[in-house]
Amino acid sequence: MMAITLVIDGVRRSFEVAPSEKLLDVLRRLGYTGVKKGCGSGDCGACAVLLDGRAVNSCLVFAAKADGCEIVTIEGISHGEALHPVQEAFLDEGAVQCGYCTPGMVIAAVDLLSRHPDPTEEEVREGISGNLCRCTGYKKQVRAILRAATRMRGDRDG
Amino acid sequence: MAAKEERVVDHIETYARPQTVDEAIRLRQKWEDAARFVGGGVDLALYTPPSVRALIDLSGLGISSIRAEDGDLRIGATVTITELMEDDSIAAVLDGLIVEGMRSVASPLLRNLATVGGSLVSRHPWSDVIPLFLVLDAEVSVRQAAARWIPLASFLEEREAWADGLVLEARIPAAAPGSAAAFEKFSRTEFDVAMLNCAGFAARSSDGRCAGVRIAVGGTPRLAARVERVEAALIGEALDEDAIDSAARLAAKEVAVGDDRRASASYRRRLVEVGVRRVLTRIAAGRGGEER
Repeated sequence: MMAITLVIDGVRRSFEVAPSEKLLDVLRRLGYTGVKKGCGSGDCGACAVLLDGRAVNSCLVFAAKADGCEIVTIEGISHGEALHPVQEAFLDEGAVQCGYCTPGMVIAAVDLLSRHPDPTEEEVREGISGNLCRCTGYKKQVRAILRAATRMRGDRDG
Repeated sequence: MAAKEERVVDHIETYARPQTVDEAIRLRQKWEDAARFVGGGVDLALYTPPSVRALIDLSGLGISSIRAEDGDLRIGATVTITELMEDDSIAAVLDGLIVEGMRSVASPLLRNLATVGGSLVSRHPWSDVIPLFLVLDAEVSVRQAAARWIPLASFLEEREAWADGLVLEARIPAAAPGSAAAFEKFSRTEFDVAMLNCAGFAARSSDGRCAGVRIAVGGTPRLAARVERVEAALIGEALDEDAIDSAARLAAKEVAVGDDRRASASYRRRLVEVGVRRVLTRIAAGRGGEER
């Protein structure tokens, strides 16, 4: 076992991990169950978190590699009771059905919009191409992310 | 789910985070073949061979920058695919060739983790990075007792010779004015790895004839390699329809293809021809990068 320190959703935490453990399993063990385990092999994106601001498959990150990094899970995306504009837009557009892909999809969208505040529909589709959803057919998520982008740019009519 | 939990690997005894290249090399020597270097860690997170007992993380070594030096572009081994795509000097290479090519690599989530060094060292047959870097005439700096520059093609072929080496960076020489390049990937889905991919580069003299040509085909399903007979046949040729057609047909004869679960050999043979034709047609039009 080895000691690592992470800032998770704004809170600094130190704990022990096995050298082979993945960030996903550690986060869930610590109670961050908003991070979902789907495929465990980087295909589905349900486990996405922001690692120093970048969305990654946490199933493919050695926990030890993340030592000293800042992690944001779906539970740290909102500001208290105030939802993140991406979360709000997902609700408004009905982009959530079973909900299993939603945390990862929102995380991927937040990363995308931080880099491309005014994405085209194609860029949005590309941005969530690592996130599988078996319910919606993606149309509503794409609409939601475009709507969130409009709102985040300051146009409340979006 | 239970079956997956049982797969947890516990043969890994240590995860080291050296802060210097020397320290990383010392650790590699200490653990010998039981050690693996971790760039993004994607491949090792998916599967760590049971013989591996030590992981040596490269993120503290300061090999994560992209810089221009003497006209070359030097790309640190731990630069991620995303960082490569977002770099201005990379975007300027051959009309955005590298950025366009990298856009077809997996997903943004994976591109945020996967590194350039890891992509070269892993020698995945379907790698999109490898054929692109082959036609860009890339070299890699490999550190064993000392660091030395090796052409990428040699590094890939001489697997055993460099197995204990640490790849520090890749170097891409500046292309002559008037050069053009293109990349084509065929895959079953946008996310999937290539059934076949093809990269091409041509430097042309003032009369438009090819003075230098490099073509690489990957995912055959063997590791990407240059197609030297096709390259040689194009030297001195203008890239007109006839020359492109004969080159594409020759490539389909020259490139050894095989079956796997993604595509049959006969389908791949067809893809070689189509891929080479498309790449050369785009080069003839003077446009680098993949059309989307």
